[in-house]
Amino acid sequence: MAKTYDYLFKLLLIGDSGVGKTCVLFRFSEDAFNTTFISTIGIDFKIRTIDLDGKKIKLQIWDTAGQERFRTITTAYYRGAMGIMLVYDITNEKSFENIKNWIRNIEENASSDVEKMLLGNKCELEEKRQVSKERGEQLAVEYGIKFIETSAKASIRVEEAFFTLARDIKAKMEKKLVSHVYNDCF
Amino acid sequence: MPDCSENYENEISEGHNVRSIKCKFCNSIILKPSVASFTTVQFQLPLMKQTGGTNHPETEELSLFWMVTDMLMFENVGFSNTVGNNKYLTCADCEAGPIGYYDLSSKKSYVALSRVKHC
Ligand SMILES: Nc1nc2c(ncn2[C@@H]2O[C@H](COP(=O)(O)OP(=O)(O)O)[C@@H](O)[C@H]2O)c(=O)[nH]1
Ligand SMILES: [Mg+2]
Repeated sequence: MAKTYDYLFKLLLIGDSGVGKTCVLFRFSEDAFNTTFISTIGIDFKIRTIDLDGKKIKLQIWDTAGQERFRTITTAYYRGAMGIMLVYDITNEKSFENIKNWIRNIEENASSDVEKMLLGNKCELEEKRQVSKERGEQLAVEYGIKFIETSAKASIRVEEAFFTLARDIKAKMEKKLVSHVYNDCF
Repeated sequence: MPDCSENYENEISEGHNVRSIKCKFCNSIILKPSVASFTTVQFQLPLMKQTGGTNHPETEELSLFWMVTDMLMFENVGFSNTVGNNKYLTCADCEAGPIGYYDLSSKKSYVALSRVKHC
């Protein structure tokens, strides 16, 4: 059977426990099917297929299954990762402050050219906000990464976030490819 | 084309799925036409709706499955954490499941015909 896609990107969700990583992984719908069986075992990863500028992209998205609580995210988890969604909760100051620690953890364990993106989740909870949008933007600028505020609950910009990250990884790969071809020719 | 049917014979052509395989609950596309192979195996698949605890999940024996040799052939799907030699498959969008199982040793995935719809 021929390959049914153009690119495969392995993505990770990283951030404090409770910020909404698991929810961001699925289209949060009112009628979300609640099977105690599956939620007890937990989801390891998901495969999603998206169309990006005419290319078929397979996303393999890994959730941390709660290891983040014990800060035991190790090199093994980061292996092969091409993109990382750093998630904090806009109603939880601590989760925002910890982004710096997560970035350090990534720098120590992941490949140096992994594409990163910052997500401020639960953005529909305006009345409970503890982290301003400006501070999110500023932190992202500091690390030279993109930033977006999302709500898994209200389905705000979650898809956009994954598309943006995927598009950046694709651009990076194609750039690398072009420079290889260039080097081979000249 | 008729609506999603339960008449499996019409869903198989030359051993493959004629139509798309979708989640029964939210319509999320799980497999595109003709990527899965029809196969019969006996498997005790836990029920989607459990009444008791999950230590001893209630199961039903199913035997009609769509077999997928490479997990990247799925359009959208969720893989649960490992239980024994298997992972359970779920809808990627609403997480309804198990819709089937993944065999860690053979790396093949099996989607139960009765847990999905064809349309
Ligand atoms: N209000 C609101 N709650 C959310 C949102 N995303 C997740 N949650 C809730 O936050 C809690 C933790 O979510 P979960 O995805 O398990 O977080 P994780 O520990 O990072 O995986 C759950 O109660 C979710 O329902 C959101 O966008 N808005
Ligand atoms: Mg989680």
